[in-house]
Amino acid sequence: MNIPRHEPAGVRFENVELYFGSNHVLRDITLAIEPGEFFAFLGPSGCGKTTLLRLVAGFGEARSGRVLIGDQDVTGLPPWERNVGMVFQSYALWPHMSVRRNVAFGLEERRLARAEVHRRTDAALELVGLLDLAERRPAQLSGGQQQRVALARTLVVEPRVLLLDEPLSNLDAKLRVQMRQELLALQRKLSLTTIFVTHDQEEANTTADRIAVIDAGTVQQIGTPADLYDDPATPFVADFLGTANVLDGKLAETPEGRVFQTPDGFTVALREAQLAERSFPAGGACSILFRPQNLEITTTPGPTPAGRVALSGRLSHREFLGSLVRYSVNVKGATILVDETHQRGHTPIEIGVEVRLQLPIEQIVVLASRGSVANHARIPQSG
Amino acid sequence: MRINWGERTVALTIAIFLLAFLALPVLRVILVAFQDASSGAFTLVNFQDFFRSSLFRESFWNSLYVAGMAVLLASLYALPLAYFTSRFEFKGAIIVQTLGVLPLVMPPFVGAVAMLLLFGSNGSINLLLDEYFGFTITFMEGLNGVIFVESIHYFPFILINLSASLSLIDRSMEESAHNLGAHGLRLFRRIVFPLAMPGYVAGASLVFLKVFDDLGTPLLLNVNNLLAPQAYLRVTSIGIDDPMGYVISVMLVAFSLLAMGVAGLALRGKDYSTIQRGGGGLAKRRMRPWERVVTYTIVLFILLLVLSPHIGLSLLSFGTIWSYAVLPDGYTLAHYHEVFRESPQFITNTLLYASLAGIIDVMVGTAIAYLVLRTRIRTRHWLDYAAMAALAVPGVVLGIGYLRTFFGISLPWSGQPLASWWVMLVIALSVRRLPYALRACTAALQQLSVSLEEAAQNLGARKLKTVWRIVVPLMAGGIAAGFVTSFATAAVELSATIMLVSSESDAPLSYGLYIFMQTAAGRGPGAALGIIAVIIVGLATYLSHRVVERGRRLGAQLQA
Amino acid sequence: MRVSGRFLAAALGALVAVSVASPPLYAGTIENKLVIVTSFPKDLTGVFKRAFEKRHPGLKIEMLKKHTNSGIKYIEETAANNISDMFWASAPDAFEVLKGDGLLHKYTPKTKGIPAKVGSYPINDPDGYYIGFAAAGYGIMWNKRYLKAKKLPPPKRWSDLAKAVYHGHVGMSAPSRSGTTHLTVETLLQGDGWAKGWAQWKDIAGNFKTVTERSFGVPDGVNSGDFGLGVVIDFFGLSSKASGYPVDFIYPPITTLVPANVGILKNAPHPKAAAAFVEFLLSPDGQALLLDPKIMRLPVNPATYAKAPAGFPDPFTDKSIGAAVKFDVKLSKSRYNVVNSLFDVMITYRLDDLRDAVGAVQKAEAALAEHPNAKAADLVREAKALIAAVPISEAKAAQPDFAKIFKKKRKKATDKVTGRQAEVEEQWDKMVKKNYAQAKAKAEQALAML
Repeated sequence: MNIPRHEPAGVRFENVELYFGSNHVLRDITLAIEPGEFFAFLGPSGCGKTTLLRLVAGFGEARSGRVLIGDQDVTGLPPWERNVGMVFQSYALWPHMSVRRNVAFGLEERRLARAEVHRRTDAALELVGLLDLAERRPAQLSGGQQQRVALARTLVVEPRVLLLDEPLSNLDAKLRVQMRQELLALQRKLSLTTIFVTHDQEEANTTADRIAVIDAGTVQQIGTPADLYDDPATPFVADFLGTANVLDGKLAETPEGRVFQTPDGFTVALREAQLAERSFPAGGACSILFRPQNLEITTTPGPTPAGRVALSGRLSHREFLGSLVRYSVNVKGATILVDETHQRGHTPIEIGVEVRLQLPIEQIVVLASRGSVANHARIPQSG
Repeated sequence: MRINWGERTVALTIAIFLLAFLALPVLRVILVAFQDASSGAFTLVNFQDFFRSSLFRESFWNSLYVAGMAVLLASLYALPLAYFTSRFEFKGAIIVQTLGVLPLVMPPFVGAVAMLLLFGSNGSINLLLDEYFGFTITFMEGLNGVIFVESIHYFPFILINLSASLSLIDRSMEESAHNLGAHGLRLFRRIVFPLAMPGYVAGASLVFLKVFDDLGTPLLLNVNNLLAPQAYLRVTSIGIDDPMGYVISVMLVAFSLLAMGVAGLALRGKDYSTIQRGGGGLAKRRMRPWERVVTYTIVLFILLLVLSPHIGLSLLSFGTIWSYAVLPDGYTLAHYHEVFRESPQFITNTLLYASLAGIIDVMVGTAIAYLVLRTRIRTRHWLDYAAMAALAVPGVVLGIGYLRTFFGISLPWSGQPLASWWVMLVIALSVRRLPYALRACTAALQQLSVSLEEAAQNLGARKLKTVWRIVVPLMAGGIAAGFVTSFATAAVELSATIMLVSSESDAPLSYGLYIFMQTAAGRGPGAALGIIAVIIVGLATYLSHRVVERGRRLGAQLQA
Repeated sequence: MRVSGRFLAAALGALVAVSVASPPLYAGTIENKLVIVTSFPKDLTGVFKRAFEKRHPGLKIEMLKKHTNSGIKYIEETAANNISDMFWASAPDAFEVLKGDGLLHKYTPKTKGIPAKVGSYPINDPDGYYIGFAAAGYGIMWNKRYLKAKKLPPPKRWSDLAKAVYHGHVGMSAPSRSGTTHLTVETLLQGDGWAKGWAQWKDIAGNFKTVTERSFGVPDGVNSGDFGLGVVIDFFGLSSKASGYPVDFIYPPITTLVPANVGILKNAPHPKAAAAFVEFLLSPDGQALLLDPKIMRLPVNPATYAKAPAGFPDPFTDKSIGAAVKFDVKLSKSRYNVVNSLFDVMITYRLDDLRDAVGAVQKAEAALAEHPNAKAADLVREAKALIAAVPISEAKAAQPDFAKIFKKKRKKATDKVTGRQAEVEEQWDKMVKKNYAQAKAKAEQALAML
C-alpha cells in the first residue's frame, strides 16, 4: 500500500456545542489532535464520545463551534466531501455486494479508472490479509474478517483521518487483544491520524498516544495514559482509569502546613508539592485519592515509618483476582480497597481480622472535592 | 440548518400528488354532502332526506347487517381450523398458508355469478338437495347471497389473524392454567381465546370494513339495497349533482374510519404478545384416529367451500350452456377464443394499468418511507398519515370524488373529459393501493441500519447515489412485496374502475367481466376473463414470494 | 384576362347555394373515427362495429357503453365540448329527452324501403331527429327445464302469469330501472286501462320471485333457472334461445312494437361517418345483421324477413303482433315518472307484503273452488279490491302540475321538489301497506271459513 499522498492532518474542535432536541449533548468542547496521533475518546456509554467522533465525519450538526481538519474549517461540509475514513461499530458492510465491491465503492465514487480501482482494491485487501476472500459476501465472513473488510474499505481511499467507532467491542476477548495490536501496527505504518472511541480503559491505555476522557458531554481531561493514571484531574477520571480509593474531607491550616482531615478524624500531612497548581474552594473542601496497590496490608502491629500514614480497620471482603488479591477494609465507615500481589503458597488474610494499612504520602493525589463536581444529566445512548 | 432541497422537492411533489388525487376529491365529496344542492349553503338537509327515505334507511341497516353477518360466518368457518392447527400436530400450516393466498387471488365479485349457479335456489347444490333430500337452502337469496360470497372469501383473513395470534401465545400461559386445573375446551375459552382476541378483533374490523364498502359483489349479484350500490346508482342514473351519492359516501368513509379506529384500539390496549416473553404457541398433541377423521372431514369441507367460487368459475368458463342443471351441458374452449380474439384489450389494459399503479406505488412508497425515516423535514409524518388515509376511502367514493373534482376539465389534445382518461384510473388505483406498498417499504427500510448509508456517504457518495446503490437494492424484498400487492389488487379492482371507465377500449379485466356478465351469451367469456385474472394474480403472487424469500435471506444478513 | 364582376357574383352565389342546399353530411370521403354513445350490449354493438369497420377500412368506431339514463346524462354534461357523434339506444323516450334539450341533429335517411310504421308505432321521429332501425316487442320467456321439473304449463297471455300455479316463479324488472320495462308496463296500462291494468300488474307481481335491478336480470334469471318465467323484451328471449339456452318465448296478444333508435348528435365531430352509419343500419346488409343469433331484433325493412329463420316473428305479415294497442307516446311521456314511482311504491318496495297478500288470496280462491261460500267469496272480493287499489286516478297522474313533482332520473334534481316527492310517496306507501295487510287478513279469514 502506498504511503498516503497527503501528510496526515490534525483535527481540532473549537467550542463545539451540540444538542439533540433539548438534550445538551456536547458542552463547549475544545481539543486538538496532532497529526499522526493515535487518539482515544474514552468515556461511559452516553457521554457523547461517539457523537463527537461523528462530527468529524460530518454526521450530526453542532449548534455552534468549529471543527477543523488540518487547516480547513469543515464545519458546514457534507460527509461526502470530507475525505475522512470511518469504520462503524457495526462495520456497515453492504450484504448485497461482495467484499471486493464493498472495498471498491469509495474508489468508484472518485471515478478512478477500472485498472486503478482494481489495483488499489487488491492492495488494500492484501494489507488486511483478505485477498483470497475477495469474492465472498460479508455474511460468509467471521466478525474479525468483517472488521478487516470495513477497515480496508476506508483505508483504500487514503483518507486524511481515520475514525473508529468502538472497533473492538463486537469481538471476543482473545480477538480483541490481537486486533488492537494489529490496528496499532497499521496506524504506525501509515502514520495516519486516528481517533477511536471506546468505553474500555484497557483498550485506550494500550493503544492510544493520548486520551480524552469525556463525561456527560464535557472533556474531563486530556493526556497520555500514564498522565491520566498518575495525575487525574477529577475523581471521575481517577475512577475511570483504574480503581481508586477516594476520601472526602477538607484542608486545614496548621502550624506545620496544611493537613487533610476527614470528618472521622483521619489526618494526613500533605507536602506542598502535592498541593501546588490546585485551587480549592473557600473552606478548603477537597478529596484525596490513592490506588489499591499503593497500600501495604499487614495483620501485625508495628510502628509507622516516616513518610507514611497508617490506617487500621477490619477486613470485610476478599476477592481473588488471579494475579492479585483485592481486600476491602472498613476504615471508620469508609471502604478502602487494597491489592496484594498473589504468589503460590501465600495465604490470604481472613475476613473479619483487624488489619493495618500503610500508605506512602507521596502516592496521594489531592483533588478538588468530589462534591464540587456538578451533576450532569445522563446523555441519551446516541451520544 | 443545512437545507436539503432535493428532499424538500420530493416531499412537495408527493404532497401535491396526494392532495390533488386523494385529499381534494374526498373533501369535495364530503363538502357536497353538506351543501344545499341549489344554493351551495351549508345544510344538513341532505342527511335528513337520506334518513327520511325508507330505501336509504333500509340500505344502511342492510349494509351493517351484511358486513356483520359476513364477519360472523367467516369467523365460524375459521374457528375449527384455528383450533385444529393450534391444538394438534397437524399439517395445518400448509393448508392455512394456501388458504391465506386465495382471497388475494380472486376478489369476491369475480366468482359471484358462478356462486349463483352453484348455490342459487335452482343451482347445482340445491337441485341435488331437492332431488335426494327434498329440501333446499336459500344460500343466495338477496342479502344472503352477498353474505355467503363475502364470508367465504374473507374467512382466510380471519383464519390467518387467529392463527397468528394463537401462535404468539406463550406456552407458560397454558401450562400455568393446566397447573391450576383448567384444560380442554374450557381452557381454550377462558385463556387461549381471550389472549388471541386483540389480533382477531383487528382482523375482523378489517373484514367488516371491506364488506361494508364493497361495490362489486352486490352489483354482480344484483342486490341494490345496500349503501355502496346505491351511491353508484344515484350518481350514474340521476347524475353527478345528486346529493344522495355524496351523503352515502360520507357514511361509508365515516364507518371505515370507525372500523379502523376499533381495530387500532383493540391492538393498542391489549397487545398481549408484547407482555409475553416466550411465544411458542400452545402445546400440541397427536390426534386419536377418530379425531383425525373428524378433523380431516371438516377441513375438506371448508376447503371445498372456499374453493367453490374458483371451481364454479372454471366450470362456467369452459361450459357451453348451464341452465337448471347440476353441471354444464357440455364443454368448450370457445369462450377463451372469444376473449383473446375479440377483447384482448381487457387483458392488455389490465397488465398496463396494474403495472403502472404498482410502479407508482413503490416509488411513492419508498420516497415517503425514506422521508419519514431518514430526514428531518418537520411535516414529513403528514405524508405518511395522508397516504395511509386512503385505506378509509372506499373505491366508489374515490370514483365519485374524481368525477366531481375533475368534471368539466377536458384534455387539451382530444377534448375527452379528464375524469374518463385512463391515466386517471391508473392514478385512482395507485392511490387506493398506496397504503399497502407504503407499509411494505417502511418495514423494509426500518430493517436497514442507518450506518449502511452513512458508510456510503463517508466514502463520497451523495444522498441520491446512496439511495440508488445502497438503500433500494437492500429494500428490494419489501419493494417487490409492495409492488406485487399493488399489482395484484389493482388488477382486479372494480369499485373505482366502474365509476371512471367510459369506453371499452380503455377498460380493464374487471370491467370487462362486469359487462360480459350482462349479456346472455357473455357469461362464458366473462368467466374466462375471471379465470385469466386469477391466473395473472396468482402468478404475480408466486413470483413475489420468490423475490421476498430472496430479500428475506438478504435481510437476515443485515442483522449479522 | 379581366374576370367579369357579374360572373364572379354568379359563381359565388352558385357556390353558396350548393353548399347550403344539400345537407353537408355524407358528401365525399368520411372521417376515420366515429364515437357512439350506446346502451346496447356488446353482443349487438360488436357485430355492427365489425361489419361497418370492414366496409370502411381505416375507420375506427369507439363505443361508449352506458345505461340509457347515464348515456343521456353524459351527453347533456359534455354538450359544451361534444366529442360524441351519435346516440344509439332502445327507448324512444330517451331520444325525446335529448330532442327536447336540443341536442340532436336533424337527419333524413337516404335508404329506401323502410315503411312508416311497424305494428301501430311510427318507426321514425315525425320531426326527423331520430331514426328507427329495429323494432322490439314485449312478451314472456320461460325455462323449459324448470317448467318441466316443476310441472308448470307454458303461459299464453299476460293474465296467465297471475295464475296461482306460477306463484313465486316469475321475474321482472321495474319500470324505474329499465326503459324497456317501463314501456311494457305502460303498454298494458294503455291496453287494459288504468284501473284494470294496475290490478293486472299487481296480481302478476304477487307471483314474483324478484324484481330485478336491470332489465337484463330477467333473461339472466330465466336462463340460469333462477326463476321459471320472465317478462322480457323479445330479443332477450329470442337471443337466449338462439344461444342454446333451454328457453322459449311468446308475444301475448296485448303487446306493442317499439322501435330502437339511432340519432346524430348536434355538433358531432365526425358528421359524415355518423351519417354513413345510419345508412348502413338501414341498408339490407345492415338489417340482415339483426338476424344474428346473438341479436335477434326485428328488422324494419320488410324484405329482410325473407332471410329470417323459420318461426321468426314477422310483424309486417303477421298483423296480430303489436296491433292490439295503439301506443300513445304523449300519454306515456306525460305520466312517465308517476308510473315509475307508483310501480316502485306499490310493488317493488312492498313486494313481500304484496306476495303474502296475493298468496293468501290465491289459497282462499283455491279453497273456494272446492267449497263455494258466499260470505267467503265476498271477503275474497274485498281483499282483491284492496290489493288492486291505486292511490291516484289516471287523470291525476297525467296532470302536469302533479307530474312535475316527480322528478327522477330524466331531469336534474332540484331542491324543494324532491321533498314533496318523498312526501307523496310516503303517503302512498302508508296506504298500500295498510291495504295489503288488510287484504291478507281478509283472505285468511275467508280461508278459515272453508
